[in-house]
Amino acid sequence: MYLEVKDMKKSYGENESYIQVLKGITTGVEKGQMCVIQGTSGSGKSTFLNCIGGLDTLDSGSIKVDGKEVAGLKPDALSDYRRENLGFIFQFYNLVPNLTVKENIQVCEYLSEHPLDMDELLETLGLTEHQNKFPSQLSGGQQQRCAIARALIKNPKLLLCDEPTGALDSKTSKDILILLEKINQKYGTTMLIVTHNNSIKNMVHKVIRIKDGQISREYQNKNRIPAAELEDL
Amino acid sequence: MEKILGKRIKRDLRENYFRYLALSLMIILAMYLIVSLVGAAETIMQGTEKSAQKHHLEDGEFTLFVPLTPKEEESLTKQGITLEKMFYLDYRQEDGSTLRVSKNRQQINLIALDVGELPEHSKEVVLEKRYCTEHNLRVGDEIHLGAEGQTYTIVGIGSTPDYDAPFRNLTDSSVDSRQFGTAFVSSEEYDSLKAQGSSEKSEEYVYAYLLNGKETKKELKEKLENFELSMESVEDPYFQEYYEENLGQRDKFLDGVTELKDGTKELSEGLQELAASNQDLQKGAEQEAYEGSIELLDGVTRLKEESEELLDTYFDVKLSKLTSLLPVEDNPRVAAAAEDQVINKLAGLAAGVIVMILFTYVISIFIIHGIDKESMVIGALYALGVKEKELLHHYLILPTAVTFFAGVIGTVLGYSTIGVEVQMMDCYNYFSIPHFSKVYSLYLLVYGVVMPPVAAVVVNYLVIRKRLKRPVLSLLKNEKKTRAVQKINLGSMGFVGRFRIRQMIREARAGFTVILGMFISMLILMLGIDCYVMCKNFSVENKADTKYEYMYTYKYPEQKVPKGGEACYAKGLNKEVFGYNLEVTLLGIREENPYFDAKITKSKSQVVISSAMAQKYGLSKGDHVVLSDEEAEQDYVFTVEDITQFSPGLYVFMEIDSMRELFGAGDDYYNVVFSAEDLGIDTNRLYSTTTRAQIEKSSDVFVNMMMPMIYMMTGVSILIFCVVMYLMMKVMLDRAAFSISMIKIFGYRKKEINKLYLSGNFYMVAAGAAVCIPLSKWVMDEMYPILVSNVACGMNLTFSWQMYAGLYLAILVLYFIINQFLVLRLSKMLPAEVLKNRE
Repeated sequence: MYLEVKDMKKSYGENESYIQVLKGITTGVEKGQMCVIQGTSGSGKSTFLNCIGGLDTLDSGSIKVDGKEVAGLKPDALSDYRRENLGFIFQFYNLVPNLTVKENIQVCEYLSEHPLDMDELLETLGLTEHQNKFPSQLSGGQQQRCAIARALIKNPKLLLCDEPTGALDSKTSKDILILLEKINQKYGTTMLIVTHNNSIKNMVHKVIRIKDGQISREYQNKNRIPAAELEDL
Repeated sequence: MEKILGKRIKRDLRENYFRYLALSLMIILAMYLIVSLVGAAETIMQGTEKSAQKHHLEDGEFTLFVPLTPKEEESLTKQGITLEKMFYLDYRQEDGSTLRVSKNRQQINLIALDVGELPEHSKEVVLEKRYCTEHNLRVGDEIHLGAEGQTYTIVGIGSTPDYDAPFRNLTDSSVDSRQFGTAFVSSEEYDSLKAQGSSEKSEEYVYAYLLNGKETKKELKEKLENFELSMESVEDPYFQEYYEENLGQRDKFLDGVTELKDGTKELSEGLQELAASNQDLQKGAEQEAYEGSIELLDGVTRLKEESEELLDTYFDVKLSKLTSLLPVEDNPRVAAAAEDQVINKLAGLAAGVIVMILFTYVISIFIIHGIDKESMVIGALYALGVKEKELLHHYLILPTAVTFFAGVIGTVLGYSTIGVEVQMMDCYNYFSIPHFSKVYSLYLLVYGVVMPPVAAVVVNYLVIRKRLKRPVLSLLKNEKKTRAVQKINLGSMGFVGRFRIRQMIREARAGFTVILGMFISMLILMLGIDCYVMCKNFSVENKADTKYEYMYTYKYPEQKVPKGGEACYAKGLNKEVFGYNLEVTLLGIREENPYFDAKITKSKSQVVISSAMAQKYGLSKGDHVVLSDEEAEQDYVFTVEDITQFSPGLYVFMEIDSMRELFGAGDDYYNVVFSAEDLGIDTNRLYSTTTRAQIEKSSDVFVNMMMPMIYMMTGVSILIFCVVMYLMMKVMLDRAAFSISMIKIFGYRKKEINKLYLSGNFYMVAAGAAVCIPLSKWVMDEMYPILVSNVACGMNLTFSWQMYAGLYLAILVLYFIINQFLVLRLSKMLPAEVLKNRE
């Protein structure tokens, strides 16, 4: 198991405002798998992803990525963990506004000792012709592709995507999903995709459904549909 | 990565060029002013030191009643002391000014010539440079000296280190080169002038000395005090008269007793002869007379001895040959320019740091604004593994670079021809000093180049680091931390009021910077205004308080006070203030004197002080004031009974009889006479004559000299105030851009938006000004005495309420002007742009 999560618990607030968001989640994802985490708003899916990404701390439990314990790491070690292992894609692209597409990607290229080839990545993501444009000159889909390229350039072992199509229209969403599928196939990147979109589950290897801080359903998808064939995005 | 992020720095600079240009210009201006000011100070201080060595500055000088005899002089020089006779004669010029003529110097206080040559021949003169400038005199021009107004050709123009500040009298408050200067002629020419006897007053016997490490000044002083007054060597008839009046009676009495003794002795000897020639007579009348005369002689001899002892004990009116001994460190004429610069240097360096902290803090506000705006991007970068210190480093580059380059440019300008030389002009226009070569101080170069970026790094590090330390999720969600003060319950206040208060609280940091900028600019302005007010008050009050027309300071007072004169007794004592030992005049006056409005009482401990004295030393009624008689090595403690308005000098008034008693002077002793008209006193009796006209002319010197600095201070303070206020209010608007555009979408009109987002600032500025004006005035009033601690005059820094009101009004006017620019900016904020920004 590439990603192993055991009895993950997380709560916020104290006294009257106390709320337990994750109530002991145990699950795992194999290397090279695409996994969708589904759930309604407030179910805890984003918290689950943030804890795995080292953006948030656990109350208790264990997270192992490629056999190494992540839970309980200190901020500097967590930063190194993210730097060496993770790629993040967000609903809002969070690009540096006054850097071009290529420069935005280059910011992360320097973080890795073995980055992917820039030109090839730009080509793969269809950004070659936009590489010298600023984010404000791009459409939402192009910006998200740039954000994906930025996350991928450092060749992460685990790609965490938080609502990657949340701010995109149906057609652009499909393009992004096709791209993620292509990357998964080409680079063998393990992916965790948080989404409330019900169609995305059809293209991934594994689906985890979270409800009220607990896993309500978890299964391997044996009838995967290529992203290009997804409907109702 | 830094290389890539570095690209955005250039773009950020381009996008906000006005902001950084304005700040850079401010830093350039600040560093230019400080480097030029401190560079000028350093040049003058080091130049003075080098010049002192080169021109053999004295270790001190002493003034005698009569010159040293050759034997006395030899006794000092044999000990290794170098002496230079600096005797002088004062000559009144046609324009009323005075030239103090001395012989050309040989060993000490040598003349530093700017142009020309030393006066070697007949009818040649070298003049002091400031006097020449004020009188438009050049080498080759002619002046008139002596009884018959003989023509002397100016062969050189220069300065001497013992008249750095060409004060006519040591107690003068200001230099006035229109009124006074020094001149040097050859030895023969000086003797010729002296022989003509047409000087303003008698010759002054001043010696400069160099101890050469052979003796201490105390040892020298003791020696000088032990030199006996040699009457035979004194030709001055006024001195003879003075001596006669003081010691003549004592000597006559002793002479009488000696004559009696001699007569008795002769009588005794005559009777002895008579007794011897009458051998036959046994115990005749002669023998008895002889024996009686022997007894008489013994008695008269005893009478003489006892009389001498009695006179030594009770007739102790010795005339000390030594009038005064002034070590170089206490001489207000020496190194005055350098001392004046010490304050400039320290104040300049401190002001530079304060101004840089303000500017770097302003920059940090922009950086914070940028960080807040890019919060989600920063969160995303953190999530991708970018570390806090990498971003911190990135955000520090711009302020560091801006301040570094601005500092370099400011420093270069400071050391350029429009820098140090320009700053030195004020000094050259007041003090009489040689032209000094510019001094490049390593510390100042480091200060100018390194201090601005270091201040930027420190201030920005402290401010930015806190912002970048926020949790990644908080940054990603762009969470706004709500401080306790923001949760303030505003009760039932109306919407507009509530909105404005919340906006002010939200922008408290920028608001604080506006107030800080206002305070610093007000401090600079107050420095200028205090300077102006002090000079102006000094000028006005000096003229108003000088009620006499003539003040005659006697060297040899007459027995009878000249008709129409008010006799007083003046004694120079010393009092230290902020490390400067200034001379204070203790003046004994009659209660009913017409020239000083001092309610004195008959007391040896109660005194009335002049307002100048009270201001200078911060004295109030009931305080004790300690004055030192350095000649006698004695301190006197007086109680301040009252303070009287008298601006022209540091004066302590005392009842004249009490003062005579205190200092052991005769019942009718006086040494100063004030009068309402010219008393025609023979100048050979006098040390100096000071006229009301001279005081009036000198009173304006400070105002004229300080005006350029006052204008500069005013300009700089207005500039700082406007730039800081505009930039900070603009940043407040920029931060509210999204909200402003949103409420525009809601349908708010321009006037209403202005009311919500801009008008609130009016109250902040109005309240800030109400605090900053009196606070800055108070701070500057506290600091000002230190800044002018070497100037021996009072400091009336009070100004009218109209001045305060004018300042307050000026701040509001500037605010309204700046506000108009911001209203224009408000109009340019379009809803579509905001939506695009959000995307």
